[in-house]
Amino acid sequence: MVPPVAVSPLIKTARYSALIAGIIYGKRRYDHLKPIAAEERRIEEEEKKVREEQERIAKQLAEDSILK
Amino acid sequence: PLASKHQTLQQIFITALTYSKPRLATFWHYARVELVPPSPAEIPKAIEAVKGLIRSYQTGRLGQTTVKDAIRNGLVTTEVLMWFYIGECIGKGGIVGYDV
Repeated sequence: MVPPVAVSPLIKTARYSALIAGIIYGKRRYDHLKPIAAEERRIEEEEKKVREEQERIAKQLAEDSILK
Repeated sequence: PLASKHQTLQQIFITALTYSKPRLATFWHYARVELVPPSPAEIPKAIEAVKGLIRSYQTGRLGQTTVKDAIRNGLVTTEVLMWFYIGECIGKGGIVGYDV
């Protein structure tokens, strides 16, 4: 087996600082995006309710005019 | 049938163990030296190396790196930068996309 390579300390510090920076960035971005997504979902729910209401009314009108 | 199913599971488990043990040993043999985080004594050395890099850029010696060295350094830099994205995956709790 090839003997393991002695990695330079610069590379080691760079790797692990990049790892920690990535963890921090990922956590902060997630916390930033989570309320935005919840808000969007809430708005989508409300608009969906309004849309379904309008569709129901339109269907009612269509049925009424055909049957009469 | 239930007893034989238990035996097959055991057999699978034993096979997996015998397969992975030497490979884990090889991995550990290399990871113990190559993947360890820097000890506190090595961090000043890293800062010194950064200063050396800046100095070599200022004196213009950086323009004299061979193409082979430049490609090798580029690959090493890319690998270091990829650790950032692995960290981001850990921080956001998923591999693809943010689970909001």
